[in-house]
Amino acid sequence: MEALIAQIFTTAFLATFIRSVVPLLLTALGGLFSERSGVVNIALEGLIIFGALAAAVSTQLLTPSLGQVAPWAGWLIGMLVGGLIAWIHAVLSIKYRADQVISGTAINLLATGVPAVVLTALYGVSNESPKVEHALPLWGVGELRFSPPVYFAFLAVAITWYVMYRTPYGLRLRATGEQPGAAASMGVNVRRMRYSAVILSGVLAGTAGTFLSIGNLDSYVRNISAGAGFIALAALIFGQWKPLGVLGATLLFGLLQALSIVLGGTNLLPSTLVQALPYLITILALIFTGRSRAPKALGRSYDS
Amino acid sequence: MTHDSPPRPSGDAARIALIACAVAALGMLLFPLATLGRGFSADAVLLHVTGSVMNLTSNQQAPLPPTGTVLGLAWATLAALIVTLLGAWQRQRWFWLTGLLTFGLATAAVIVLGGALDDQTRRVLADTTLRPGAKRQLGNFYASGGMNLGLFLPALAGLIAAGAGLSALPRVWQAFNRMRSLLVPIAAIGLAVLVGAIVVLIVQPSINQSGAPMGLWSAWLAKSDLVYFVYSTLFAPITSLNPLLDSLKIATPLIFTGLSVAFAFRTGLFNIGAPGQLTMGAIAAMLVGVYGPASLGYGLLALSVLAAAAGGALWGAIPGLLKARFGSSEVINTIMLNYIASSVLVFLIGSDSFPFLGREYPQPLKAEGSNPQSELLHSEAQLRPLLEVLNVGQNGQVALSIGLLVALIAFVVVRLLVRKNRSLIALAAAVVLGALTWRIGIPVTVTGSQLNGAFLIALLCAAGFGLLMWRTAAGYALRAVGLSPKAAEYGGISVAKNTILAMTIAGMFAGLAGTHYVNGGALDEYRLKQNMPVNVGFDGIAVALMGQSTPAGVVASSILFGTIDTGSVSVTTKLAKVNSDIVTVLKALIVLFIAAGGFLSRRLTSPPPPALVTAAERHETPAAVDTTTSLTPQPNVGQASEDITRDGKN
Repeated sequence: MEALIAQIFTTAFLATFIRSVVPLLLTALGGLFSERSGVVNIALEGLIIFGALAAAVSTQLLTPSLGQVAPWAGWLIGMLVGGLIAWIHAVLSIKYRADQVISGTAINLLATGVPAVVLTALYGVSNESPKVEHALPLWGVGELRFSPPVYFAFLAVAITWYVMYRTPYGLRLRATGEQPGAAASMGVNVRRMRYSAVILSGVLAGTAGTFLSIGNLDSYVRNISAGAGFIALAALIFGQWKPLGVLGATLLFGLLQALSIVLGGTNLLPSTLVQALPYLITILALIFTGRSRAPKALGRSYDS
Repeated sequence: MTHDSPPRPSGDAARIALIACAVAALGMLLFPLATLGRGFSADAVLLHVTGSVMNLTSNQQAPLPPTGTVLGLAWATLAALIVTLLGAWQRQRWFWLTGLLTFGLATAAVIVLGGALDDQTRRVLADTTLRPGAKRQLGNFYASGGMNLGLFLPALAGLIAAGAGLSALPRVWQAFNRMRSLLVPIAAIGLAVLVGAIVVLIVQPSINQSGAPMGLWSAWLAKSDLVYFVYSTLFAPITSLNPLLDSLKIATPLIFTGLSVAFAFRTGLFNIGAPGQLTMGAIAAMLVGVYGPASLGYGLLALSVLAAAAGGALWGAIPGLLKARFGSSEVINTIMLNYIASSVLVFLIGSDSFPFLGREYPQPLKAEGSNPQSELLHSEAQLRPLLEVLNVGQNGQVALSIGLLVALIAFVVVRLLVRKNRSLIALAAAVVLGALTWRIGIPVTVTGSQLNGAFLIALLCAAGFGLLMWRTAAGYALRAVGLSPKAAEYGGISVAKNTILAMTIAGMFAGLAGTHYVNGGALDEYRLKQNMPVNVGFDGIAVALMGQSTPAGVVASSILFGTIDTGSVSVTTKLAKVNSDIVTVLKALIVLFIAAGGFLSRRLTSPPPPALVTAAERHETPAAVDTTTSLTPQPNVGQASEDITRDGKN
């Protein structure tokens, strides 16, 4: 048993663990902004996919003219596209008062079709983009070498915490999610706050996608997100809509994912069932947290 | 004139007719009028309203049908269209007439063109100098021709204008009003088609096999022809029997999952768990179908179907229970259960053995061989193809029984004629007449379609949905919870109980989709396979939204989706850059636009009560408006979820 534990908990495992956490963390922080402003963002899964696709494709297309700088431009474009798609969700749910869950589902459905159309149009194959020449660089030592979005993700926790609790913007955002009417009467532009928060969630989810496509792999492949958006959403609820809680929850879910990757190679447990573990834990976690601590105006459109 | 001439159409109606006519008139000038022939890779001979013919095919010598009459009719159509446009502009009483005329002229042009193309096909058939291969190719060349956007748009605009003009009549207005709930889906489809067209325009380069260089104008005509080609191919399966049966086959699981999502919608719940429920239903159906006793005969089939229902119901009940008891969101829970179900499926039939605490155990449920699949079902548990069931022809001839059709017509007719107990009497009449005419068959030529008995189960489910929801007390309670949980609770209806019930029944519908795949052999064999397309569970969301969460709507939109899914196969084979993924995008866009209410103003989708309208604008709308609210109230899912959660938590 001890040998087995030693076999699992290695530096390589630590690296896998961190790589599993990053997309969840970035996405969940994005969801944090959106949901604290009162907009349910079930579209996160789709936003990751759009970000990943945009980053990979633009890096591939920009490499001839930009060379080494291309992946950085790709990151930027991944963020922009994520924000743009999130803006669609914002328009539907804020301006047209669409049901936020349905609107988000529409974005997710869009993310199952659009990448294939884009890839077919550009490369004639619908499953994956060609490998990029330069992926994002890896920084670090030994086996612990990560691309910049990894460092950005952990930095983003601190930034999010600071923005949320120490800036006027954060105060207004939280007020918007709790009591939009009261916030509006204090002069907060509820719609603008929600727009900014949803777009910000798209930017962060787009970064998560960028990490997956050109920070972790070197191309976009179908189903690259593998449910990360949904697990991030669960982590958001488990972390009770707080930056540090989200960090804790994503660390837990990341650990489970990393374990399922490592255990898949051992003969301890069936790997398929270990893969289901994060989802099972999510359900159990939801039982204990529920939506009791959700922002009060979450999921309600605001009619001024 | 006199009092019996129709009153003036409303401002909105005239505006709609005006826009439709303007778009169509512009379209006649900007788009090709007709396709005179089309090669295999969508290369076309295009006719423009000016009479110029553009041949983009590799076959430059193909003789073309005469186009004089068609062009004459087209010019007449354009004239009628402009008159209608002016009539709509002035809100004239008569523009419905010119609208109908436009439609008639455009249709006449299409018919004349079709006749000319048929003549060519006949000429090719009679030509003895042609080899069979070339014969078929040339035959298809003319058969694929027909109208193009330049005739399609005016025909559509004529119909719209006629409808808009006639809506001035109180009776027609009432009939339109009853269909008001269709406005949002139709607008959503229209917008999705428009966006899809733009995607096609961007993505697919124009097809020119002629080798001649193309100018800007001809490139535009060729491109716009592509758009029409894609959509006409997508919707083509309706026109002939074999693809139609294929469409119904693809629609079958969509009906199940659509009903599942719609049922949950009605109760204010959002069921994204149809893929998981489908998987569990399929697993349960497989377990009974493979390992149940074959001695039961058709009892085993019934048992297997029930098992599918139970498997799905269980998987639906879990999130329902969790929501009612702990207040955790069913949205997240159903998504998580989807992943778990897929893991269970892979675990059961994915590999020959599984490790557990350092030892390997054999996995008995997986069939021998390298494919991830289960054993074959007992033949007693198989749902036979409908063609086989309906075939009453003897000595090798295929003749489909007319019993089902007669039963259906009898049901509708009797139900319309009888006043009291009409459903019951109509059902009895349908059964009796259906049984009497069962042995009468009409000979048809179809090649083996895999449309199976699950389709009938799906229709039964739709009927059951309607009966339960609108004819029983339990349905009343479910709907009450969906519309307003607080009011329902106040009225003594248990929100928690109905949440669990709703999710269980929703899961049951989705689980029954498993019968299509496992018992119906829709995966090419009568067994459970790992590559079961569970994504139809997500398509169910689109289907339910488009069907406005009504059973008839779900069936209709499932068939529509099945049709474009079938049609997308031929698009994929013919075009390089556009493939079946475009259909996925179209479905997503439809959901997107329905979520946004089709971007229609609330004045159109849910008008204020007639009393207010007549008071406000006495001259505008006829006073006969009797629908005060939208006929199919859509529960506000997000809102309801929130409320139930609170109640569950307290």
